[in-house]
Amino acid sequence: MAAFGRFSQMLLRSSLTQTRRQLSAAAGHGGDSAKTWKILSFVVALPGVAVCMLNTFLKEQEHSHDAPPEFVPYTHLRIRTKRFPWGDGNKTLFHNSHVNALPDGYEGHD
Amino acid sequence: MAHQAHAMLYSVDPSPSPLTGAVAALLMTSGLAISMHFHTTTLMSLGLVLLLLTMYQSSRDIIREGTFQGHHTPPVQKGLRYGMILFITSEVFFFLGFFSAFYHSSLAPTPELGGCSPPTGITTLNPFEVPLLNTAVLLASGVTVTSAHHSIMEGQRKQAIQSLTLTILLGFYFTALQAMEYYEAPFTIADGVYGSTFFVATGFHGLHVIIGSTFFAICLLRQAQYHFTSDHHFGFEAAASYSHSCLMSYDSSFTSLFTDEAS
Repeated sequence: MAAFGRFSQMLLRSSLTQTRRQLSAAAGHGGDSAKTWKILSFVVALPGVAVCMLNTFLKEQEHSHDAPPEFVPYTHLRIRTKRFPWGDGNKTLFHNSHVNALPDGYEGHD
Repeated sequence: MAHQAHAMLYSVDPSPSPLTGAVAALLMTSGLAISMHFHTTTLMSLGLVLLLLTMYQSSRDIIREGTFQGHHTPPVQKGLRYGMILFITSEVFFFLGFFSAFYHSSLAPTPELGGCSPPTGITTLNPFEVPLLNTAVLLASGVTVTSAHHSIMEGQRKQAIQSLTLTILLGFYFTALQAMEYYEAPFTIADGVYGSTFFVATGFHGLHVIIGSTFFAICLLRQAQYHFTSDHHFGFEAAASYSHSCLMSYDSSFTSLFTDEAS
């Protein structure tokens, strides 16, 4: 929340000189900030995304052989107080028959 | 003094946008309720069309009055900044409501849920798979948008266009990943209060990312058409502030909604 306050202050006072002054503290060179942030984008930010992509891909591969969790007809889950206004009224909008059981159980035992 | 102040300030010409926007909101909300009871989406669709028209017209008007007519003097810009800050603050509180709903139900779980949080039978998402990737994508877009901002301020047109394009692509990537997560999640919105709070909070967040990407797309078109100068580009700053607040909201979700146990 403190960051938010600081941020909105910066937005309010933002004129060119003030921004340059504030950012020169961070970048070290007043006129070079664009280059600094470009380097940060390609050396830190995008490689960070690539690492996370690799991590996700590897973890998904590990789990791809797992069976969906066993079906227990809990009354606090798979609530159907009212039919959905699409299809047969029993499936959620992003229903995936492999991992989402219906109130009676998994369809077709996938 | 008062005369001088009025001479410096710009009063907008009457615009139908506040009315059309309000009517659109009314038609969409009542239309949504109607669609759930009477199986007709006409009213809601009408509201959506009106909303899109309002968005198009009001943004076109403000670009005309600022960029082409030169009405956005420093005091006017200051007013616009105040307006954006207030709006973003209201959005923060909007999200706080949904976080509060989640914590209300998860910190003192009822016996009906199994007396534990997450509730019995819920298989949570691993926060260190797609959610972590999504966080990295949004953080990266924060870096690229800052790069775009500095490029604009230093008059580097091509760099600004590149960084802004990269920012938008990252936004699209986030949306695609999130849609995939929604499809692959082992729990649904109908799975008790956990499902409800999870999908409503992340759903509204995703909608805001789409809004942010749209706002940036408009900025990209404007940058390409030389609308922004190195010291006057408030539309871009507004888009960047909005998206930054969106990012912070996701970071908060990440630490609360996605973890295996309520804090």
